[in-house]
Amino acid sequence: MLRREQNDLLTQTGPNTPGGRLYRRYWLPALLVEELPNSECAPVRVKLLSERLLAFRDTHGRYGLIDEFCAHRGVSLWFGRNEEGGLRCPYHGWKYDYTGQCVEVPSEPEESGFCSKIKLKSYPLVERGGVLWTYMGPPDKRPPLPEWEFATVPREQSFTSKRLQECNWLQAMEGGIDSSHVSFLHRGELSSDPLFKGAKGNQYNLRDTKPVFEVAESPGGLYVGARRHTEDGNYYWRITQWVMPSFTMIPPRGDHPVHGHFWIPIDDENCWAWSFDYHAMRPLTGSEVAAMRDGKGIHVRYVPGTFRPMANKDNDYLIDREAQRAGRTYSGVAGIAMQDASLQESMGPIVDRAKENLVSTDNGIIMARHRLLRAIKDLIDKDATPPGVDTGHQRVRSASVVLEPSQAFVDAATDALNVRPGVAHSTV
Amino acid sequence: MSSESARANAAAEARFRIDDANWRQRVVKVMALDRRSEPFVRRLAQGQWGGATFFTASAFAPAAPSNADGQFSLASWLSDLAGRTKDLLDELHTADLVAMVAMAGENVQQVAAVIGEACKATHVTTIGFVLGSAAASPEALSTTLGQLRPWTLMLLIAASEEAIAETLAALRA
Repeated sequence: MLRREQNDLLTQTGPNTPGGRLYRRYWLPALLVEELPNSECAPVRVKLLSERLLAFRDTHGRYGLIDEFCAHRGVSLWFGRNEEGGLRCPYHGWKYDYTGQCVEVPSEPEESGFCSKIKLKSYPLVERGGVLWTYMGPPDKRPPLPEWEFATVPREQSFTSKRLQECNWLQAMEGGIDSSHVSFLHRGELSSDPLFKGAKGNQYNLRDTKPVFEVAESPGGLYVGARRHTEDGNYYWRITQWVMPSFTMIPPRGDHPVHGHFWIPIDDENCWAWSFDYHAMRPLTGSEVAAMRDGKGIHVRYVPGTFRPMANKDNDYLIDREAQRAGRTYSGVAGIAMQDASLQESMGPIVDRAKENLVSTDNGIIMARHRLLRAIKDLIDKDATPPGVDTGHQRVRSASVVLEPSQAFVDAATDALNVRPGVAHSTV
Repeated sequence: MSSESARANAAAEARFRIDDANWRQRVVKVMALDRRSEPFVRRLAQGQWGGATFFTASAFAPAAPSNADGQFSLASWLSDLAGRTKDLLDELHTADLVAMVAMAGENVQQVAAVIGEACKATHVTTIGFVLGSAAASPEALSTTLGQLRPWTLMLLIAASEEAIAETLAALRA
């Protein structure tokens, strides 16, 4: 349960909102690199944190992320001509470079220097790991580039996709740290999805549907440990990483690639669900990549030409009641990602958390909200750098391990919970 | 024509959600298991709570309390914060949730087991909070967690007292 004012603080991320100020202290994934494949390619509309922006790649291959609208009379520069080192508004020919600086106003004498007085808001756009990242906060607070492991391994070892989710970022993200729903909503996929099936740990998931949780703060967020019984009296632990503000990494299963998400606000009623898969030790196989492109695992199939899932609210998520009755899917919706998204979107654009009734297994969610609210307060009151900005907080791994009952997972799995180059994930 | 989900998910539809309370007050018993966690529970009790009451079991730990015949007795296990002795089973009969609070490094094995067994027998959900982990050695923390783990559905290694208060508030205590 959250009071309305707390809910507002967490769910509103527009400019000058407290939550928006928090988000603007991080590097955020903005586009897939293939959305701007070459110099002078078509510009792309981007909305992030309730700001309308335009991404483009100039003649020299430089990436720009600028205010979408021409400073002259507010035309969308999406119609612009990407030529000769800048983006030209087709209405009256005003031209902007990749920093948003106006470099030409054809109607004004060149000597007047008028164009030097016009500059659109812009943000850096930097490629790393197949993702174009942006930082939308105060320039003097700009942190080093992100060091998430999936973005730093060789490209052939990782795969990243994004999909539109039509609800507030927080209710989407909270699903990422809620391990207890897996044994219900996704139980069919544990046995059938090519990116999940076959792991020993799946048997523990399916056999013990009442996990017990332990939650501890990590430097950048939380460790959410869910333990289940093994056949020999030990505990099977699945330890999820949550790093502020919205990075989640799901514990691995067998030798499958490890996956996770970023939940990035588009505006207060929509977000991007970024989904990554990577293997720390080997290239992804052709069949793994094919499965990911086919919408398996945590990825989706799209409405062609968009990042909107093929199954979406306009077609009732292609719900199949017969598959639900027959047990092929638990909710009738196919695919892990859309099983989650369909339910999260059904809560409405921004769920009213004053009406919810949390239970003890929701403690990961409770603590994540607590840490976010605390970070917002510290940022507003003391200009404190929030957790998760430090690149050391980003070099983390999720883990699945079997431990003796007396062992605390945080201590016993310390090594497993941090990036160790050349060492595989700890997995069952 | 839009689908049923598209219409139902819209923000405008939210105003038709039933506005009646969908919950009744939960009764939460918060119990300090050791002397070092007792001052925190006393501070916690100063807050605004709907259905939470606060106790200490620390006065009796680790020695098991007994009645006049020298037999083990649950009747004298708990005290409220005013120092009045309370019968553990009486308290559990009205409880929805028991929250056990322990300080990392304290020996709470016996008191956790007694409360945990009683909760199990009366079908009351238990959660555990461990404070002071930053000041305790990993071994000491492990020991305390190991003592609580058999009896709790959720364990929180709390970095601050505030985290526990927030958790209880989120659970509508």
